[in-house]
Amino acid sequence: MIDDLEDLLKAAVVEVFGTMIGLQVQPEAPNTPLVSEGSSIAGAVGFIGKMTGVVYIYAPVPFAVRLTEKILGVSASEIDSDEMVNDSMGELANMVVGHLKSRLSDRGHSCVMTIPSIVRGTNFQIEPVSTTIRRVFSFRSLEHQLVVEIMLRPETQA
Amino acid sequence: MGRKILTVDDSKTIRMIVARAFKEYDIDMFEAQNGVEGLAVASREHPDLIILDYTMPIMDGYEMLTKLKSDPELKAIPVIMLTAEAGRENVLKIAKQGVRDYLIKPFKEDVIIERVSRIVDLKPKGESADKTKRYDDPLGILLVDDKPAIIEQIVAGLRDTPWKVDGVGSTGLAMDRCGRGIPDAVLISLSLPETGAFTLFQMLRAGAKTKSVPVFGLCVKTAAEDQARAQQVGFTGIITKPIDFEDVKIKITRALGLDTSYKYFTMKDGVLVLNLPPTFTPSVANDILLHLRNQVTSAVDSGLDKMVIDMSTVKTADITLIKLGLSSLQLCAELAIKSAMIGSDAVTNECKNYEETKDWRFVTSHAEALGVLGASAVAA
Repeated sequence: MIDDLEDLLKAAVVEVFGTMIGLQVQPEAPNTPLVSEGSSIAGAVGFIGKMTGVVYIYAPVPFAVRLTEKILGVSASEIDSDEMVNDSMGELANMVVGHLKSRLSDRGHSCVMTIPSIVRGTNFQIEPVSTTIRRVFSFRSLEHQLVVEIMLRPETQA
Repeated sequence: MGRKILTVDDSKTIRMIVARAFKEYDIDMFEAQNGVEGLAVASREHPDLIILDYTMPIMDGYEMLTKLKSDPELKAIPVIMLTAEAGRENVLKIAKQGVRDYLIKPFKEDVIIERVSRIVDLKPKGESADKTKRYDDPLGILLVDDKPAIIEQIVAGLRDTPWKVDGVGSTGLAMDRCGRGIPDAVLISLSLPETGAFTLFQMLRAGAKTKSVPVFGLCVKTAAEDQARAQQVGFTGIITKPIDFEDVKIKITRALGLDTSYKYFTMKDGVLVLNLPPTFTPSVANDILLHLRNQVTSAVDSGLDKMVIDMSTVKTADITLIKLGLSSLQLCAELAIKSAMIGSDAVTNECKNYEETKDWRFVTSHAEALGVLGASAVAA
């Protein structure tokens, strides 16, 4: 298990959002309560290999729309479909996982990434199997909470 | 026609970001969502560059690259790999496939522009369609010299032009100015501290928007080593101190390909008039000769068959004037158009002394020239 996984993932989120969107995302203190803002979008990207897992990045829909505006340099009125928002969230998740995967690969945990997928809904929860290691971190930006969840299969089972 | 760039990425977001990065450039953008589509578009469009994602459904970037490099028609197309995976293993795998460069996501727009500009000549949109700039356009000249007296001297020396000379004292300020607007030409003192001139030159050449801007080095005539180094690294030219401002204007004019023909050629009363200015120097003569054939040919094309060569303000008939006169008359004969010459008293008298010019017949006014040509003045 990677001891500093939390740091690696937080660094990846800060780097991706800072570079691609010019947006500062502030990690929240551990155990900060997760706030429901209604309907959310989750971008998910998995990685398979010497280390196997999946990363979800959740954003409330209004926040996801703001992120899409910023990453594409368009106004809200120019976002003409959910598809644009989905794609942006998927790409952000892809870059975060790519960043994390690069650090893991350099430490010998080589793996390949999956194509991004999107989940939309309200009050949905991921229920991992009991052997899965699960970590949840939250960030704050533009008065919204961004939640990042990573689930890892223990290395012995990989 | 603009250059073509093909972006192959399953993410519309990335395709839009890449397209946005190049929207200010004269680039035709093409898109594909996976390797299969990418190969099809590459075969059809033969782009100048492919920006290729690594992880895609249907056919990933690695497979597309392999197929591209095995196709004799497509293998020469340079590829920049765009990947979210920056691990050493991945980078080595990509490098072995013969990509020209790779870019790690996340990336900033200016980074992708800079990388692409190393491979494709990026021209700002509209530049290629613009009409040729004229000498009397308000050009921006960036002057970089740490000696305020030199800046003042050059500003004063170019005051008779419509050019705006912006003097700064350091390379940092120069780059700051370039960030606010691209100058038409840059003059840099080669004696800036810590070889600053050469550092600045490299920075300008590395910038997509500044790499084509003419850059001149300023130095004293005896600074042979600096001059040689500047020429070696590719400075557009050298301007030596004490500064000959006519020489500076001509060097900038030539480097920018400025149209100066309007200074010498006009249409008046249905004839083409070549006006020689009072300060008639070898440089001016060369400038006129650059335009002479085009101007006369264009006039003939548009139906004119008469030309007046007006030397009435020229003070002496030297070899430069005589050569230009001979070239002009020879061209008129070649194109079968009638010509007449207006001369000052000095020119008229001096020309009688030379074998080549003793038969030249001068008149003293435009009206007389029209009479010789069988034309008449058009009422204003």
